[in-house]
Amino acid sequence: MIDELREKIDKKEVTSKQLFEEAKNKAKKYQEDYNCFVTILDEYMHENSTSKLDGIPYGLKDNFSTKGILTTGSSNILKDYVPVYDSTVYKKLKESGAVLVGKTVLDELAMGGTGTTGHTGIVRNPWDKTHMIGGSSAGSAASVALNIVPFSIGSDTGDSIRKPAAFGGVVGFKPTYGRISRYGLFGFASSLDHVGCFARCVKDIAYVTDIIKGQDEFDMTSLPDDNKIYSSTLENDIKGKKLFYIKEACDINLYKDSKDTELLETLKIFHENIDKLREIGFIVEEVEFGKELLDALYPTYMTISCAEATSNNANLTGIQFGPRGEGNSIEEIMFDARTKGFSELIKRRFILGSYILQKENQEKLFLNAGRVRRLVVNRMNELFKTYDGLIMPTSGGIAPKFGEKTDQLSDRYLILENHLVIGNFGGFPSISLPSGIVNKMPISINLTGRAMEDDLVLNMAYKIEEKLGYKGLLKEEYDV
Amino acid sequence: MYKVVIGLEVHCELKTNSKNFSGSKNDYSSIPNSNIAPVDLGFPGILPVVNKEAVKKALKMAIALNCKTPDEIIFDRKNYFYPDLPKGYQITQMHKPVGVDGYVMINVDGVDKKVLIHDTHLEEDTASLDHFGTYSLIDYNRSGIPLLETVTEPCLNSAKEAIAFLEALRSMFLYCGTSEARSDKGQMRCDVNISLMDENATELGTKVEMKNINSFNNVEKAIMYEIERQTEVLNSGGKVIQETRRYSDEDNCTYPMRSKVDAVDYKYFIEPNIAPVKVTDEFINEIKSEIPMLQYERINMYMDKYSLSRYDSTILVKEKEIADYFEKCIKEGSDPKLAANWIISIILGHLNKLEIGINDIYVTPKMLTELIKMVSENKISSKQGKEVLYKSLSDEKDPTDIVNELGISQIADDGEIRKIVLEVIEEQPQAVQDVKNGRDRILDFLVGQVMKKTHGKANPSLASNLMKEEIEKR
Amino acid sequence: MIEKEKLELYAEKLLFKMNDEEYETLQKEFDVILKQMDLIGKIDGISDVEPMTFPFVTYTAKLREDEVKNTLETEDLLVNAKHHDRSQIRVPKVVE
Repeated sequence: MIDELREKIDKKEVTSKQLFEEAKNKAKKYQEDYNCFVTILDEYMHENSTSKLDGIPYGLKDNFSTKGILTTGSSNILKDYVPVYDSTVYKKLKESGAVLVGKTVLDELAMGGTGTTGHTGIVRNPWDKTHMIGGSSAGSAASVALNIVPFSIGSDTGDSIRKPAAFGGVVGFKPTYGRISRYGLFGFASSLDHVGCFARCVKDIAYVTDIIKGQDEFDMTSLPDDNKIYSSTLENDIKGKKLFYIKEACDINLYKDSKDTELLETLKIFHENIDKLREIGFIVEEVEFGKELLDALYPTYMTISCAEATSNNANLTGIQFGPRGEGNSIEEIMFDARTKGFSELIKRRFILGSYILQKENQEKLFLNAGRVRRLVVNRMNELFKTYDGLIMPTSGGIAPKFGEKTDQLSDRYLILENHLVIGNFGGFPSISLPSGIVNKMPISINLTGRAMEDDLVLNMAYKIEEKLGYKGLLKEEYDV
Repeated sequence: MYKVVIGLEVHCELKTNSKNFSGSKNDYSSIPNSNIAPVDLGFPGILPVVNKEAVKKALKMAIALNCKTPDEIIFDRKNYFYPDLPKGYQITQMHKPVGVDGYVMINVDGVDKKVLIHDTHLEEDTASLDHFGTYSLIDYNRSGIPLLETVTEPCLNSAKEAIAFLEALRSMFLYCGTSEARSDKGQMRCDVNISLMDENATELGTKVEMKNINSFNNVEKAIMYEIERQTEVLNSGGKVIQETRRYSDEDNCTYPMRSKVDAVDYKYFIEPNIAPVKVTDEFINEIKSEIPMLQYERINMYMDKYSLSRYDSTILVKEKEIADYFEKCIKEGSDPKLAANWIISIILGHLNKLEIGINDIYVTPKMLTELIKMVSENKISSKQGKEVLYKSLSDEKDPTDIVNELGISQIADDGEIRKIVLEVIEEQPQAVQDVKNGRDRILDFLVGQVMKKTHGKANPSLASNLMKEEIEKR
Repeated sequence: MIEKEKLELYAEKLLFKMNDEEYETLQKEFDVILKQMDLIGKIDGISDVEPMTFPFVTYTAKLREDEVKNTLETEDLLVNAKHHDRSQIRVPKVVE
């Protein structure tokens, strides 16, 4: 973790270059089995700085623009694209002295949550190769879970940081919408897209966020600086802070007839953990959120995200960049480039998105989704008048196995596997942290707080982490 | 006879330093792709950042067009694929344009008309395509230049009205300093919707759209052509097809454009990357204070207050700088009618000849006012005045100095001239007698003697009047 | 169920092709989403709600000062373009 590495560098027990070489070698060693990276950098690139992250190696999701370094979005349509400008996050990390080890694999264009759709192949779960790591920030999660890098950067549109973090047994955080600039992040669904990070403890998350946050002249949706140092308020007292969880998802009685033992075990641990939180002074209450709204989360998310995605990716035509399509007319070459460049899932989502935006469907689909979004956010803000945070199991179970069939419409899936989008709907800061082990695989707890209160969310998460005792979790074999 | 109904959509590039959503230069360059930024090229990950000056100028126009302005600035995406549109969507305004429900007053052949404005909205220009034999090249210099699109209601009823509106709109851009509005540079382009209906019909006829006409002259010709074409279609019992046509100035015809079976659905939605920005009263008031009095109002003022003819007023307001010059002359004390005459008859000709602006000339409103005064006080003749003004313009000298140097100021002093008149009467008794006997022509001879004695400096009409007076006394 | 022909038209407008199997999956997806969206339409008072675009609105965004900066060189445009000549991207002739 960063404090240890920092100390080693400062005491000259190790150089930053050595850390980079070590990370690079590990990255290469695990590449065949786990496929974390699209690109592993050969060259050590370091700018001197006095920041906490000076000399610390990290991974960057391959949908952040890096000048002169291949950036593919894990899609064939960008398989040869070398950006000519830097994303703000990359620029800030560079200036803070952090050392880029590689660009991590994602689900193609950040759409999807399995880590299986990137153009360079599937990403596997470091805890068990037969399991997914989840996505879309698959390689970023896996590279931290494999202890290749102490932290990595991801993006989160529905749950794309927090879900794979949970499946990989690491901490994943997306702050308030606009806290970190999106400039240079390949747009998926702009109104839901967040930049965030992975690490093995909450403190490291705070260190990284302290560096990459801030208002950016290149992103109009970025928030004014809050002039806070998140890593300095982690120890604040949380006694009396009020949390709630959603009854319609977490009440164990709802699953009386379920044969899903993982789900039952996960919920059991969740409730045990809730009791532990009460022991350290949290007040935790069960709240009925409204079943109608919860059932609407998934379709609402799909509707908004697919609609924005089809427009955001309309620049991918193979004309200015990317492989040029074949054909005799301009239409033909764009057609060919897009037919060959996108995988099936992407195409399906684009068609869905396009249908949703059609004039005759907008009212019923796109605008209704926007209305539900507001209702959900209003409900959250109403609850936030009483509570400081929403605490939930990040997922209803452990990382799925490859090829496992899931019933997307079952109660577990409809709510427990989709509630994280609430954080994206309202731009609320949201963090997942390891909270237990089920069938030798990690599970996580998720905490979502009020918009703008990133410091409080990290402060509470730090205290929760301390109590639950999974700080720095690693599968034993990677603890070297 | 059919009633002609025309609606216009006018695109005009706004004058700013940088583009609408990026920091690249808003300028014409003969070197392709020399004014570019990541945002203009649609690279993955780019985000638009709205240019304050573009918003300000767009709002200025909205206010000048008597539109209602919005409480906040937001944009929308218009989605379609075309090689000149690198992002695959154009950022424009649909939900909350910078202006809605406005109007512009025009005057056609002395008749006032209120042209209703549906809306005016801020958007971005596309890249431009250069076509060659078998291929096209893309130039992104134009990509992202701020563009204001002004849409009228279908309320214009002739080519003349359409042109009058376009002229009025162009003058607003120039008066407000928001655009050079030059159609020869492609800065101002026009789409025309035109339909014909029976004189007594209540519903509009089928409309034909003509896209991207690049000069007012061509707009006029295209409208005339379409009126003729549609009239023929209707007269022969046919139906006008709803379609988009292209005007060709080579043969002065319109042609149907290749069109897809179904209309394009632009799938508009609010641009999520541009956070809403409040339009404050303070901002609006600041903008309002910068809008000068416009053409139409000035014409009316010149006619009502200064009793100028519509013709002269129209000439004076053609350029704001000229109108301002004229008004300054009045402030300096010029008689409005005289000032208008001098400006129109001499100064404008001078400007045309040298192809310069009125602010480039040496003669200030104050100097012109002095000159006009010398003439009206008979210090110099109007003929001399003209010569002095020409000389002042060409030699860049103060007219008063020229008059002094040449010593041409007239003797307009009653007493001084009367003295000389009496001298002449004394010297020429015969001639005086002749005048008294009714030989009027001899009077000219006597006045001539006065002029001779004064070396031409006596004011001739004054001399003549005094001579008559003195002879009558005898 | 939504007709395949209709979906094909959408694909064409989005400038790509899909195979039959992919359309079948898509039709099923449409079925699910449209049914769920139908339910959303039945939420009480939904039509009175203002659709949400931004997670929240703070009115803290600033308009950009009108300065020329952060520009690219022509070469930056060409480096990723597969076909170019005379410092411009080249495409088959665009017929207007």
